[in-house]
Amino acid sequence: MGGDVRPSAREAGIRERFRPLFEPRTCAVVGASTSKVTLGNEMIRHLRGMEYGGAVYPIHPRAGEVEGLKAYPSLGETPEPVDFAYIVVAAPQAPETLAMARGRVKYALVVSSGFGEREERRGLQEELLRAARGAGVRVIGPNCLGVYCPNGRVTFIAGSPRDPGPVGVVSQSGGLGVDIVRRGGTRGIRFSRLVTVGNSADLGANDILEFYAADPATGVIGLYTEAIGDGRRFVEILRDLDGAKPVVLMKGGMTEQGKRAAASHTGALASDGRVWRALAEQTGLVLVDTLDEFLDALLAFQFLKPRADRPTRNVVMFGNGGGASVLATDCFARAGLDVPRFGDEAVRLLEEMNFPPGTSIDNPIDAPGGTLRVDDGRVAGRIVDAVYASGEPDAFVMHVNVPVFTLSYDQEADYTAHMVESSLEAQARAAARTHFLLVLRSDGSLQVEERKIADRRKVQAMGVPVFDELPDAAGALAAVRHHERFLRKRRR
Amino acid sequence: MDVDAAIGAALRAGRGVLDEESGKRVLAANGIGVPASMSVAGPDGAADAFAGLSPPLVAKVVSPDIVHKSDVGGVKVGIGSAAELESALREIESAARAHTDDIEGYLVEEMAPAGHEVVVGGSTDPTFGPVVMFGLGGIFVEVFADVAFRVCPIAPVDAREMIDELKAVKLLRGARGGIRASEEAIVDTLLKVGGEGGMMLSLEGKVTEIDINPLIVSGNGAVAVDARFVLKRD
Repeated sequence: MGGDVRPSAREAGIRERFRPLFEPRTCAVVGASTSKVTLGNEMIRHLRGMEYGGAVYPIHPRAGEVEGLKAYPSLGETPEPVDFAYIVVAAPQAPETLAMARGRVKYALVVSSGFGEREERRGLQEELLRAARGAGVRVIGPNCLGVYCPNGRVTFIAGSPRDPGPVGVVSQSGGLGVDIVRRGGTRGIRFSRLVTVGNSADLGANDILEFYAADPATGVIGLYTEAIGDGRRFVEILRDLDGAKPVVLMKGGMTEQGKRAAASHTGALASDGRVWRALAEQTGLVLVDTLDEFLDALLAFQFLKPRADRPTRNVVMFGNGGGASVLATDCFARAGLDVPRFGDEAVRLLEEMNFPPGTSIDNPIDAPGGTLRVDDGRVAGRIVDAVYASGEPDAFVMHVNVPVFTLSYDQEADYTAHMVESSLEAQARAAARTHFLLVLRSDGSLQVEERKIADRRKVQAMGVPVFDELPDAAGALAAVRHHERFLRKRRR
Repeated sequence: MDVDAAIGAALRAGRGVLDEESGKRVLAANGIGVPASMSVAGPDGAADAFAGLSPPLVAKVVSPDIVHKSDVGGVKVGIGSAAELESALREIESAARAHTDDIEGYLVEEMAPAGHEVVVGGSTDPTFGPVVMFGLGGIFVEVFADVAFRVCPIAPVDAREMIDELKAVKLLRGARGGIRASEEAIVDTLLKVGGEGGMMLSLEGKVTEIDINPLIVSGNGAVAVDARFVLKRD
């Protein structure tokens, strides 16, 4: 995952500067209520849910206690200085709230909206910024939702994973940030940190990107942005990173229509999609169009170690579902990948295995349920051995039609886990560096989904990323290939 | 030549672009090949111009009011003698008079050797600043938008990738019996426009767009046949 980042004084400085935002020792919440449940109350409850260990100071003009915690009248009157303040007051009150901090607050995340998104309210955003500068506070937002960092035990999302991982995300949109953590978390993505930056009145995506580049806890970077702000600084940061960590960008407002939506959404002024694509070639930036592609690419980078010397191209596919694998072969080809025929030695060895009828032994291998059940699923390891006899492919994509192993009467063994386990053993025997991916195809029924969730957990614990459909795996591998091609280009 | 002086003169004259002759002098000063040429005030200068150049020649009108010269009959090609040049200049003069009184003179150039017409350009992106563009000329740029962009500065590997990126790259490489264009000459021109120290960066703040259209690329070199520099106005 990613490359080693050489420690330097500058990078150490960046890391220290952002520590209070992601791993605060003290938090204040402005806007929690004694009578109803606001986002402020939710924030305090989320901190409790994460077993946050530092002090939490509710700020309330009158109440002595909020959410069972002692409250203080302003940000300037807490017992200890505040690392991270969460602000959920109405926009017109936000500047004064920050002005009261008097140098005792490091970061304030302003949830309130109604600032720079609309032309006539820009003045209020300026006022907020002046108040923050005067009080020595750095601002995240306004018009955003929060910060999530498992190691810092902070979150703004109910049910966010407690265990950390390598994926660091910046999202301009708060709501999309929630989707990324929730849907991504379900898929097995584990995060170092996520922050939503909203209008980026003070700190923006570039500042966070620069931090993630220097952050040893982050090995993969994901960005959602509608307007990057200082584009030349963005390019500089990516050029300096030089592919040491994969960066996946989901850019809103790429098309003309998207641009109009962006302008009315966060006051974004987007530029031509062509230039973004140029940048993807020049910096290795991985561009994706949808949330699902974004998550699948991040998942792939979390699990797979990019190969700079041999960009992914040749893919071996096997599993049950002949039609699905024929369709997928076309899909891999469109993604710039190949599903080539096997060499003679591999074909001979596969023929010798005398599979049950209905098995097709060229690539893609169509192995019906009966074939995958041979040796309780461990037949997969022997198939992988046979494939390696004719040379090492760049990736194996195994796919299982989960209903076959959930709803049929033969459920003697844990077939899926055995398939993956035995395949990985075969890879170790061959000392190969093939990317392994598993696709668990579901019919969406409750029983199958439950089985799929359990299988996914088991298989990802073995270090193999799991995808919902074959085209999703193709997209994720194409992202890995793009990054690997960039790495190879830089090495030349 | 003094690039700043040419830009200053154009701006003082209230123009947002450099005229063709100044543009080509800027290109030449930056190491990009341009045809050998002479400026003449009118048809009477034909004999002198012909004596100083190797035919076949091209004659073009120079007027701030005429941007698309060939559309108004302002260009004649394949001129082989002094007499032909003189009559070509008279025809251009009368065609141009129909559009403007402001004719500054005429540019007489040697014709570029046969080759592929490509376009090398630069523009200023609102987010990323100077960018460089490459495409095949004519319908490939105008109809199919078959072009490649990169953010400045580019390295040689970027320039080579820009060529690879064109859908019509096979034509440049001799498909359908055409000549094989010198890719080194294209890479060299792209770097002189968009590389480290290329014109888009060295003239940043003065020039917002450069359009070398066409650049004629033969098997062993490239010649800029027309050039347009869009100036930044205050």
